[in-house]
Amino acid sequence: MAKKVICALSGGLDSSVAASLLKKAGFDVIGVFMKFWSEPEKNGLVGASNRCCSLEAEIRARKIAKILKIPFYVFDFSKEFKKKIVDYFLKNYQKGITPNPCVVCNKEIKFGLLLKKALALGADFVATGHYAKIKIKNQRSKIKTYHLIRAKDKNKDQSYFLWMLNQEKLKRILFPIGDFTRNEVENLAKKFKLPVLKLKKSVEICFIQTTINDFLKKYLKEKIGKIVNSEGEILGEHRGLWFYTLGQRKGIPLSGGPYYVLDKNLKRNLLIVTKKEKDLYKKELIAKNVNWISGSQPKLPIKIKAKIRYRQNLASATIFKLNFKSYKLKFDKPQRAITPGQSVVFYKGEEVLGGGIIS
Amino acid sequence: MKKNKRKIYFDYAATTPVDPRVVKVMLPYFSKKFGNTMSLHSFGQEVKEILEESREKVASLIGAKPNEIIFTSSATESNNLALKGIAFANKNRGNHIIISSIEHPCVMESAKWLESQGFEITRLKVDKYGLVNPEDVKKAIKKETILVSIMHANNEIGTIEPIEEIGKIIKSEIRNQNSKIYFHTDAAQTLGKIPVDVNKLGVDLLTGSSHKIYGPKGAACLYIREGTKITPLLHGGGHEMGLRSSTVNVPAIVGFAEALEIAKKEMKKENERLSKLREKLEKGILKKIKNAHLVGHPQKRLPNIANFWFEGVEGESVVIELDLLGIAVSTGSACSSEKLEASHVLLATGLKPHQAHSSLRLSLGRWTKEKDIDYVLKVLPKVIKRLRLISPTFK
Repeated sequence: MAKKVICALSGGLDSSVAASLLKKAGFDVIGVFMKFWSEPEKNGLVGASNRCCSLEAEIRARKIAKILKIPFYVFDFSKEFKKKIVDYFLKNYQKGITPNPCVVCNKEIKFGLLLKKALALGADFVATGHYAKIKIKNQRSKIKTYHLIRAKDKNKDQSYFLWMLNQEKLKRILFPIGDFTRNEVENLAKKFKLPVLKLKKSVEICFIQTTINDFLKKYLKEKIGKIVNSEGEILGEHRGLWFYTLGQRKGIPLSGGPYYVLDKNLKRNLLIVTKKEKDLYKKELIAKNVNWISGSQPKLPIKIKAKIRYRQNLASATIFKLNFKSYKLKFDKPQRAITPGQSVVFYKGEEVLGGGIIS
Repeated sequence: MKKNKRKIYFDYAATTPVDPRVVKVMLPYFSKKFGNTMSLHSFGQEVKEILEESREKVASLIGAKPNEIIFTSSATESNNLALKGIAFANKNRGNHIIISSIEHPCVMESAKWLESQGFEITRLKVDKYGLVNPEDVKKAIKKETILVSIMHANNEIGTIEPIEEIGKIIKSEIRNQNSKIYFHTDAAQTLGKIPVDVNKLGVDLLTGSSHKIYGPKGAACLYIREGTKITPLLHGGGHEMGLRSSTVNVPAIVGFAEALEIAKKEMKKENERLSKLREKLEKGILKKIKNAHLVGHPQKRLPNIANFWFEGVEGESVVIELDLLGIAVSTGSACSSEKLEASHVLLATGLKPHQAHSSLRLSLGRWTKEKDIDYVLKVLPKVIKRLRLISPTFK
């Protein structure tokens, strides 16, 4: 009997091609559209623009399912999404750190709730249109191990956002487009006669309609504090620490710059700035809540390549153990603006070994 | 994909297909007799005539006078008009409204909105069968009370409320207080299914729906007893005696009246047939599936609704599994998972959230055959068994 796959359909090109490839490969495919949270408008209407789960996107996803002749269902995860992603996002900003909501969404929603539901429905796999690969290795003891590998398309590679996955989850996940470049995916869409969409430029965070600052202003309000330099001299006033990210240059209300955000003192509500960009470079970081995808920590210290934000080149570093789930990374070369709250992801060659949250 | 072409509909409480006899009477009113009921000329008059005939028909079928029937677009609209229209027209006398805790969302949400506008809402508890205790209505009434709205039968579990008794209690309270308390019932699930007579029920307002009784969507009615003080929601050209401005949806209303007439004519025989089928379904399920429980009142219940909960399975999973096998049913598990948003009706009957999430509603109707019941009885036990095998909570 054909293996049953629940394929997440966002209405976009990548997931549509992913579902098509699965269908062609002979899987028993069920399309699922997930509804996430989007900001309510002032008048109580639901905002239209959580781009990946607007009504428009749902209609597109439904059309794709119809073209592929697969069953289609809508799962409303908006309540859970609000609780687990949006509230987490706001709570972190409030603490003065800069979170990666997509990392948590992958763990809690796509490969959390959706996976759980898929298994409850008797599906063998969950598939998504992520650009990443899973490699299965047969160990001598007949045990299979699952390895998360960077996508063929290095520019689109989304393995950074998947470091929270584990063996239990990986063995139930399929990434059908990981072996294709975006260009190839577009050509496949044409070949499969899928409606090609001209999408708006993609936004950074799916549930934010305007800018992060506008969003934070709405939910966290302003909290005026002092701007100081590293010597403690008061230079001016800021509107709330959550509006600033480490390394940021634009938007600091001081003249005679440029100034860069160097640090935040949450207790005293101080924004610490510097004129010297080189102050932003640090050689070390502490990673917390570390996850090893293999399920066990490799022998330490270990030389790896690390990414401290999504759009960043890999940098050589060595990992040392500090204590339970807490590790120290020493980079070969200093890194600019290592930002608390962001994910640091560890790579060995093409493989993602794991990652952690920068503290 | 399994090639399973068989498709069986067990969700008649959600909506029904339009009876071909109804379609037939509607057809002339799309392209041939298309006029606006407000026009003076013959095009307008021929549709005005059928509109009023439809009104008379609906009125006579529920023991009302024609001028007491307002046609609307949906039961949701009728319920909104009943609650908000009464509340705002009578707020000089009081601001207190009584509803039950198992009303349809359009009543629950209208009440919630009225609360935000300064009205006080009492939501009456129900017993484990979903029944409102008429004594609780009596206790809840106070001098500020202007409206009581209790549904005739519940859409999820089928329990029929003691409307007649509540109506009598309200009447005696009116005599005691010497102040009018309006009584509304949402009969969207009962009109055309069990006898509905506004005078026997003792209601001042009653909501009825077309698409639940093999009529088209987009038509519904609100019975408003003569002399009732009510204010419209839609202002405009003054259609429907000024209570519901909007160009009248003549084809849908013609269909509604015809559907109601057919339903009433066939009611007795159809209910006997449905009761037998449902009995077979319920007995079969309780016999073949262990740890399955019936929800709703054993007797005081609509003949076409069967609601169960199955230990250790998620209702939504059962719905999707059955759908993939060609059987359409519904669940009180409104959401995706977790403990959130289980059906307020099931919770009100005392079910725990995880029990409510494992509920399944099968509703039967005009085209349900015995072989459909047999098919469900063959398929459902297997589905439940399989889902329980992979369920983390069922041992």
